[in-house]
Amino acid sequence: MTDAMHAILIVEDDPAIQNVLRILFEANGLRVVVAETARRGEHSAKLNRPDIVVIDLGLPDGDGLQVISAIRAWSSVPIIIVSARTAEAQRLAAFENGADDYVLKPFSAPELLARVRAMIRRHARADRPKGVLQLGEVLVDMTLRVARNRDGREVRFTPLEYRILESLLRHGDRIMTHAALINEVWGPTRDDTRALRVYIGSLRRKLEGDPSRPRHILTELGIGYRLVIDGEGPSGPALQTA
Amino acid sequence: MRPTARKSSFDRFLRDLHPGESAHWPQYVQALAATCLCTACVYPFNRTLGLFNVAMCYVLVASIAALRLGRGAAVLLCVANMLAFDFFFVPPAFSFEVMDTRYLFMLGVMLVVALVIANLMISVRRHRDLASARERRTAVLYAMSRELAVATDAASMAAAAVRNICAVFHSTAVVLMADEAGRLTPVQAAGGGPVDAEDHPVCELPDYDPAIAQHVVDRAERCLRDAIYLPLLGTRRVRGVIVVRPAAGARPLPSEQLQLLDAFAAQLSLSLQRVRVAQAAEAARLAAERVLLCNTLLASISHDLRTPLAAIAGAGSLISQAHYSLSEDRRTTLGTLIERKARDMSQLLSNVLELTKMELGAGPLNADWHAIDDLVALALRAHETRLAKWRVSLSLPLDLPLIFVDATLIVQILGNLLENATKYTPPGTAIMIAAAARADRMLVSVADRGPGLPPGDPERLFEKFRRGRTESHIAGVGLGLAICRAAARLHGGEVRAMTHTGGGARFEVSLPVNKPELQRIVEFDASSVSA
Repeated sequence: MTDAMHAILIVEDDPAIQNVLRILFEANGLRVVVAETARRGEHSAKLNRPDIVVIDLGLPDGDGLQVISAIRAWSSVPIIIVSARTAEAQRLAAFENGADDYVLKPFSAPELLARVRAMIRRHARADRPKGVLQLGEVLVDMTLRVARNRDGREVRFTPLEYRILESLLRHGDRIMTHAALINEVWGPTRDDTRALRVYIGSLRRKLEGDPSRPRHILTELGIGYRLVIDGEGPSGPALQTA
Repeated sequence: MRPTARKSSFDRFLRDLHPGESAHWPQYVQALAATCLCTACVYPFNRTLGLFNVAMCYVLVASIAALRLGRGAAVLLCVANMLAFDFFFVPPAFSFEVMDTRYLFMLGVMLVVALVIANLMISVRRHRDLASARERRTAVLYAMSRELAVATDAASMAAAAVRNICAVFHSTAVVLMADEAGRLTPVQAAGGGPVDAEDHPVCELPDYDPAIAQHVVDRAERCLRDAIYLPLLGTRRVRGVIVVRPAAGARPLPSEQLQLLDAFAAQLSLSLQRVRVAQAAEAARLAAERVLLCNTLLASISHDLRTPLAAIAGAGSLISQAHYSLSEDRRTTLGTLIERKARDMSQLLSNVLELTKMELGAGPLNADWHAIDDLVALALRAHETRLAKWRVSLSLPLDLPLIFVDATLIVQILGNLLENATKYTPPGTAIMIAAAARADRMLVSVADRGPGLPPGDPERLFEKFRRGRTESHIAGVGLGLAICRAAARLHGGEVRAMTHTGGGARFEVSLPVNKPELQRIVEFDASSVSA
């Protein structure tokens, strides 16, 4: 992370929530810009070039989804939605429009802050993790296509499992929708999630320390999956000699 | 009644409905045969019997035969009897000549008496036939009305009517129901056509002219073309049309049968009316229940929202007014209190909304295929902080089938059950989550080692605003289990409470599964590995 203050754009019409968010982020060293309407939000995003956008979906002059699409047209800035809309279809629409994360109101302040920080950090790290990754008990070398667990035993993936893992990795720790994942792995003709569920289950059994409480391949209800990477593990040769 | 047995009795019934229909010529032959037989029998006893008794024998034969013959044949029999009597018995024998004019008078009287008796016999028989036809017609209608009485929805009623009409009239039939705008759509039982008790199609759907059917609906009167179109009359409008097409090559239906068809149509109309009335009553009951729910809800909410609100307002005012000069500790306590109370209220609100939505049946289930271990993991993650002080153990076999469910609802069921377990059992005790596949059901259970279920019927726990302990500090209004049950039932499943073996409470969710689907995927998996 750089020393410069990161700027956060808050698009939210309710003064009370505005206040809470402003106090929360300013107290944690972020420069806060607030916009009350969708139009001002779009404008402010261009003007202030924030490092992250926190946006409400219900705005007085339009839908937050429009703002997201407008920003996505020219920028890859992380966008977190903070909304009281709980319906899966609405959340799914937000992700399909290019949102990176979705926090439900009423939110917990520490949780929101953690997500904002994680998002800024990830965005700052320009290159996607490549080479050797640590996923729980397993070290995966994506270039050599080898995975070994702590004891140095090789973990074998089926070709489809490997393709799912690759697709999830390409998205960093952002949520990948079911449709996008199925499209990347099986192609556009397939439209049911059954095989995906089965493969995610078998991937978890190979990667997770406790497959019944996954920590790395996380399910986002009704939306898709998210891969959480512990960090980049030791370099390639260590894996090969193990 | 078995369809085949029914068919033969219907054939007899249809013959009885129109006795004149059957072919005549065999009857005339029978009449002549009766005359010949009588003559042959009586002739040897000519001398002993005497002329008068022979005449009586002929009259007797004519009377008995009239019970079976048609009117024409009976008249032929009487005339043939008279001529035979004249030829063989009246002197001079073997000649139609008559010696004495008294014999002429005798022949005349004999003919008239035979004709009168035969006529009486025929009308007695006609009455008997009519009575039995009426009886059979009642039986046929009764058979249908009995089927209609057990049917509970319009589609199965239409199917029952079509089945009966097909069987009775040897025809194909279809029921078209009119919607509010008067548009007609054919009612089809599952599988495309009406089926009998063994699921064999009774008859295929007939061709019909939608224009004629529409005309029948508009005019509310029956229409006879190549098929018979009968309106189904409701109290205010025509509810539909029955189209009956007699089997190819059959004669057009006689008027008695048309009347019977009308009776069938009227019977079906009445039954459909009954469904509508029942539906209206059900809707009224639901509306009343909703009002009751709203009232209970309001009463409950006014208490359960005001209490935390009072705490929040109090704590807020303490923090905001500087002159209380609170220590850091106390401010944190108040802040935590505000947060916790606000969360409780938010939880209560979403519970109420969730339950209302489910009870109103808003929208279809957002169902997809899910692995149960995934859903359990999500429920555990959602309640991670709450469950930190309990020892949660899982027993989820690897080979569990996928289930086709609305994941949000299932996670909510499991979450509510876990939340209950933490509310009603002391920290440090065990909570066990287990899943098992049983034939076509998936059983997921959440069990604890707490004090167990309260005394009384466990089903009462699932009532709205019912709590395990009525007066307690435990947050909530008693909607958790009601939501679980509503959500499970939306999936065609169920939630039950029972005592856990070895102590504690156990809640079991059973959900339907579709097993063959999983096997297909597993085969697919194996092939991909070898690829």
